[in-house]
Amino acid sequence: MAQATVQAAAGVRDAAHGDAGNGGRGEPFIPPRQGFLALRSGYSPHFRTGLAIAGAVALFLVWEIGAHSVSAEKARFFPPVENVLGALYNLFAMKGFIYDVLASCARIYSAYLLAILVSLPLAILMGAFQNVRATLNPTLSALRYLPAASFIPLLLVWFGPTDAAKVLLLFLGVVWFLVAGMLSNVMAVSGELIEAALTMGASRKTVVLNVILPAAGPHLMTSGRDLTAVAWTYLVIAEVIGAQSGIGAVMMRAGRFMHVDAIIAGILMIGILGVLTDAVFRVAHRLCFPWAR
Amino acid sequence: MMAREAFPDPGGREIPGGEAVHYPIEVDRVTKQYKNGAFTAVDNVSVRMAENEITAIIGPSGCGKTTLLRQIAGLEYPSYGRILMDGTVITGPARQRGMVFQSYTAFPWLTALQNAEYPMRIAGVPPAERREKAIEHLKLVHLESFQDYYPNNLSGGMRQRVAIARALGQDPRVLLMDEPFGSLDAQVRWEMEELTVEVEERTRKTIILVTHDIQEAIYVADRIIFMTRNPGKVKEDMVLEFKDGRRFTKKEDLIKHPGYADTEAKLYGMMREEIDKIRSGE
Repeated sequence: MAQATVQAAAGVRDAAHGDAGNGGRGEPFIPPRQGFLALRSGYSPHFRTGLAIAGAVALFLVWEIGAHSVSAEKARFFPPVENVLGALYNLFAMKGFIYDVLASCARIYSAYLLAILVSLPLAILMGAFQNVRATLNPTLSALRYLPAASFIPLLLVWFGPTDAAKVLLLFLGVVWFLVAGMLSNVMAVSGELIEAALTMGASRKTVVLNVILPAAGPHLMTSGRDLTAVAWTYLVIAEVIGAQSGIGAVMMRAGRFMHVDAIIAGILMIGILGVLTDAVFRVAHRLCFPWAR
Repeated sequence: MMAREAFPDPGGREIPGGEAVHYPIEVDRVTKQYKNGAFTAVDNVSVRMAENEITAIIGPSGCGKTTLLRQIAGLEYPSYGRILMDGTVITGPARQRGMVFQSYTAFPWLTALQNAEYPMRIAGVPPAERREKAIEHLKLVHLESFQDYYPNNLSGGMRQRVAIARALGQDPRVLLMDEPFGSLDAQVRWEMEELTVEVEERTRKTIILVTHDIQEAIYVADRIIFMTRNPGKVKEDMVLEFKDGRRFTKKEDLIKHPGYADTEAKLYGMMREEIDKIRSGE
């Protein structure tokens, strides 16, 4: 038996050597199949895009099946996908939902802009200068532990149910986290890049604006992107309390009339806006930092 | 003249014209301590580096060679003593002393050309002029066809060549190199060593090269300072006499040169002593 195997193996070798057609190369090698949970797989990007779509479809499928399996009298509390999409269409077509969406976006982006305007210089100054960091960082870190929602009564007393109160709440919700994230980005800039600039005779200002800022740039933008999700969270909280306009206000009103489909439509809308914001950040990242990999 | 006594290196050499050799860098009894004096990285070192010469500083890890170079750059200060450039005490980094680091410091957000222009840009050189000079420097390091590449798209050796071109852009009198080829492949390293000799021949800078590679030191340098560790002192200061003041554009030509093998054996012997010292826990 063993002898037969040896002979067979030798036969294969002879055949490979004798095959002049492929220049003496061996048989095409077929690597072992690794299955779905391959650790380092070579699945194509197309395949992975397909998986991403399948994942999203699965979510809606579960929702759809769940909605259709509740009893008829409870169906209005758990509407299926098509009802929610219908409600979303209705909101836009009949209720001027676009103005609420724009109002929410205006609040969130003005608050966000304000937060960046405060956190970016703070992060750069603290990252570049040890003494500034020693002075401010402990206090700013402590502020991160104060829940932004706990400022709501104060903001209502000071500003009433105005847009200023809402923007400030959003601002408070993200600004300290932005500072912390951006500070670590600035401090991660290689000391040798700074030293290289110094040996070229660069001034302090040149080092900060011309070395530290561009070197940290891509990471700063990523930090900024990550916190947009947090800003949306506070937006809903801000609009749930005494707001006439905005996505949150619309959802609150729908809740009073138990229009669950409209509530979920609002949630869906926020999700869509979040994904769009993320996409805009991605494109901007590629355009602003073509050199980063 | 009195201060000259402090320099036990082979100073006072005469060049054929009869003029005395000029020493742009003078390290004057420098001690560098860390941890409030608990650790002495550099211990009372006095050396000076001659104009247009390549001096290699070599020694085992932790012998203070990089610390010494960083102090010459002005990135660190001595605990005792002082370092002079053309007779003036060094109190910080300055453009007369360019530096090439071991890590890749070509700015990743600038193209090769923009990197080469950078020191001239911050010095306020007009755009047309600095561009012309930067292209010239990129040609010198054989990178002219990569001028629009970002460093992330260049190999390690190419990034170091960008760093050299950039350092030349500040028109330094002294070029400091801190293990610049330490993280490169052997073959790329060899290319870069030859490039360093070529750059020196064309630009006539004073180069101080810190390395742990014996062959690199012998090939590139005109003079080798061997430092020993704990505390960091100068163990030997040797002018490579066997080279006869010549520099070799090809490394293999030097290896065939009489005297090379002896020098190499001597340095390996010195390095062996250092290794044994570390092993015996000294």
